[in-house]
Amino acid sequence: MAIVRPGDDKSVQSRAMSGPAARHWRRWCASVLGVTFAALLIVAAVNAIVDPFQQYRLATTYTPRFYALHHRWINPGIAKRAAYDTVLVGSSIMESTRNDWIATACGGSAVNLSMPAISAAEIRTLLDTVFAVREPRRIVLVLDFNAFSGTPDERQDSAGPLPAFLYDRNPLNDLPYLLSGTVLRKSLAILAGRDDEPFRTDADAPWFWGDRFRFARSEVLRGLDPGNINARFQQPARTLAGMRRSFERNIAPALARHPATHFDLVWPPYSMFVWRDFAQRAQLDVTLDFKRYVAEAVQPLKNVGIVDLQTHAEITTDLDLYMDIYHFAPQVDRWVIERTCAGLDRVDSTTAAAAERHLRDALAAWHPPVGQTAQ
Amino acid sequence: MLFNSYEYLIYFLPAAALGFFFFGTRPRWAVRWLVVASLFFYGWWNPAHLPLIAASIGVNFWLARKIQRAANRHRWLVAGVAANLALLGLFKYADFILRTLAQAGLVAPVQLGLALPLGISFFTFTQIAFLVDVRRDKAREPSFDNYALFVTFFPHLLAGPIIHHSEMMPQFASTTNKRIDWHDVAAGLFLLAIGLAKKVFLADPLVPLVAAGFDHATTIGTSQAWLSALAYTLQIYFDFSGYTDMALGAALIFNIRLPINFDSPYRSLDLRDFWHRWHMTLSRFLREYLYVPLGGNRASESRVLANLLLTFLLGGLWHGAAWTFVGWGALHGMGLCGVRLWRRTGRRLPPAAAWALTFVFVVVTWVFFRAHSLGDAWAIVRAMAGVASAGADFGQIRTLLSTDSAAAAALAAGLLVVFRRRNSNTLAGELAGSWLAAAATAGALTLAVLQLGRVAPFLYFNF
Repeated sequence: MAIVRPGDDKSVQSRAMSGPAARHWRRWCASVLGVTFAALLIVAAVNAIVDPFQQYRLATTYTPRFYALHHRWINPGIAKRAAYDTVLVGSSIMESTRNDWIATACGGSAVNLSMPAISAAEIRTLLDTVFAVREPRRIVLVLDFNAFSGTPDERQDSAGPLPAFLYDRNPLNDLPYLLSGTVLRKSLAILAGRDDEPFRTDADAPWFWGDRFRFARSEVLRGLDPGNINARFQQPARTLAGMRRSFERNIAPALARHPATHFDLVWPPYSMFVWRDFAQRAQLDVTLDFKRYVAEAVQPLKNVGIVDLQTHAEITTDLDLYMDIYHFAPQVDRWVIERTCAGLDRVDSTTAAAAERHLRDALAAWHPPVGQTAQ
Repeated sequence: MLFNSYEYLIYFLPAAALGFFFFGTRPRWAVRWLVVASLFFYGWWNPAHLPLIAASIGVNFWLARKIQRAANRHRWLVAGVAANLALLGLFKYADFILRTLAQAGLVAPVQLGLALPLGISFFTFTQIAFLVDVRRDKAREPSFDNYALFVTFFPHLLAGPIIHHSEMMPQFASTTNKRIDWHDVAAGLFLLAIGLAKKVFLADPLVPLVAAGFDHATTIGTSQAWLSALAYTLQIYFDFSGYTDMALGAALIFNIRLPINFDSPYRSLDLRDFWHRWHMTLSRFLREYLYVPLGGNRASESRVLANLLLTFLLGGLWHGAAWTFVGWGALHGMGLCGVRLWRRTGRRLPPAAAWALTFVFVVVTWVFFRAHSLGDAWAIVRAMAGVASAGADFGQIRTLLSTDSAAAAALAAGLLVVFRRRNSNTLAGELAGSWLAAAATAGALTLAVLQLGRVAPFLYFNF
């Protein structure tokens, strides 16, 4: 009797078993456990050998697959296994930056580890993974203000769970990868040469999406309510205190701990609509205060520079360079990395105020296109 | 540590079992090994709560000795129960009470923000029952090791079943069951596989269907509301009963028989029957330690009804510090009062009608259990009643089910399983050791484990 009801006194009954019965059950258990563990071992072996997310080695025996929906699963593998001395980390706005553009602009070899909707906490996790392997010569951090929303450890729900076990150096906790049915399906698809879900194969531009969208003023204005810009994007409100806490917890320690690495903190050239949106939501002062705070916070650090590209009105007001108010075209990605590595557009705590004034003036002078929003 | 995690299934459970049987010839060490393993299991999530559970065990063991020996036994019992309830109140209900008082304008808004220790409701209730029974001279436990294992034994520690010392202590004290019993191991593996399969293949895939309704309570139509409520009815059953099967299975590997917690509850013919089949060990606790001391059935009819209502109000609150749980408990309390009054008329409903009435009542009341707020619950119930403005929305349901085939399959399979005569308890009891059963067990374990590491894609499509 294996099952007892609440209060049933059969729970303590004697369980004497004959020799043959005991042998039968032992064989039964051995079969169940043996088959189960053998099957799991085979799955783990297939996943480890094919390694579709390139956690243990970069794909060389087959064409690599960079799945468009799995940045967070593949990037830690690239961070650990690829050869590079410059790293670009940013959100989706920087994904269309080719590695060779970075290498050409910054020298040496480079890798783009940008991820959509990356949060400051994820930047910290990613940097920890990078520094556990090597001390890169240069790290370009393109900072999205939304990365500093909410609590310091907050991430966007839409990003799905972060597979933290892939970001560390402990192979014993890799079971969710090695024993995943989803990963097994990808391994088998690779072995069979079948396509399963959208992926890119260009290791030089694994996350490039700039060729799948149209960059034009009409795209930016599509479905946009100029009177309530955030209605389309639903971005959360931020507080200066919250952004500071997040910066202090997630970014500042890495800057101070790795003086041999040069960090560029880049403020990216959003379209002017973003600043108008900030103004509509009373986020403008918070955002500019945060920029000023960052400039002051990193001032004592010799290995950190700030690049402010948000005052370039020739970019931010040319809506034909954007697909929406945030995301710019690949040529702008290239422009960002080239100016950064050329040492242009540098600001510090003494010049930040002037850059801020410039931005405020540009915003005040800018008149958004009217009567052209398409639904 | 979760039962449906790799670290539990691949590392912890095998290591705990091997250690236990390694010490099998020295029973005291086997018990100590299990206590240490159970505390490791508990501390995995948040080691900061280990001192709390250790102190709770130590204090309750000391209180039990006082109740057993002191002259003023009743006073010690009152102190013991009060201390346990205070601990539970502090961690689980303090913020709820403060929030409620603040909403009523009686105090300034302030929150303690204490993290809820896992399983606190379960280990607190288990120990309160023990103290009460020591006072009633029904329990006595001289061994601290056995008592610590009684409270911490990892299969029941986090989510029950709520165990009773009378059914557990003799098993922990037995020197013969520290040796491996392959039949128990087989039954344990079998139940483990069933429980894991329930969780992975039937409960988890229903989450999107549930969320589609409960996350949009105020805008859904009639059919969406019914679909989400039905999906949640199945999800909570397969989740909780799957968890319980895994707990029973893990315990059996150590030759420990935990009491069953579910017995095909959705086949109940009235609400009283339902509570004899749903979360049976909680029902037993509420009956023995709340309803009966309140006077139980041996009182005037109005008093009996009041006892029932109070028992279920508190039973609802036990599930969580929110008005939705209180509302759910109140509805079940009122439902049970209705059943009692109906029974007194001597009339009987045809079985099909009795089943349908009970099932629909249970489905509707789950809405209160799952909803984000009482307002949301009411909105969904109104939608179910056809009062919502969205009206019937069959097209939306068709789209939902056709785009999520796993959810549609889980819904269909779940309905088939809950109405089957033979549930996991029956199947485990009948396990004959055929090779077909071995293949099914190994297959279910393997496939379920492969589903645990489901790779969640990035959902942020819409830049």
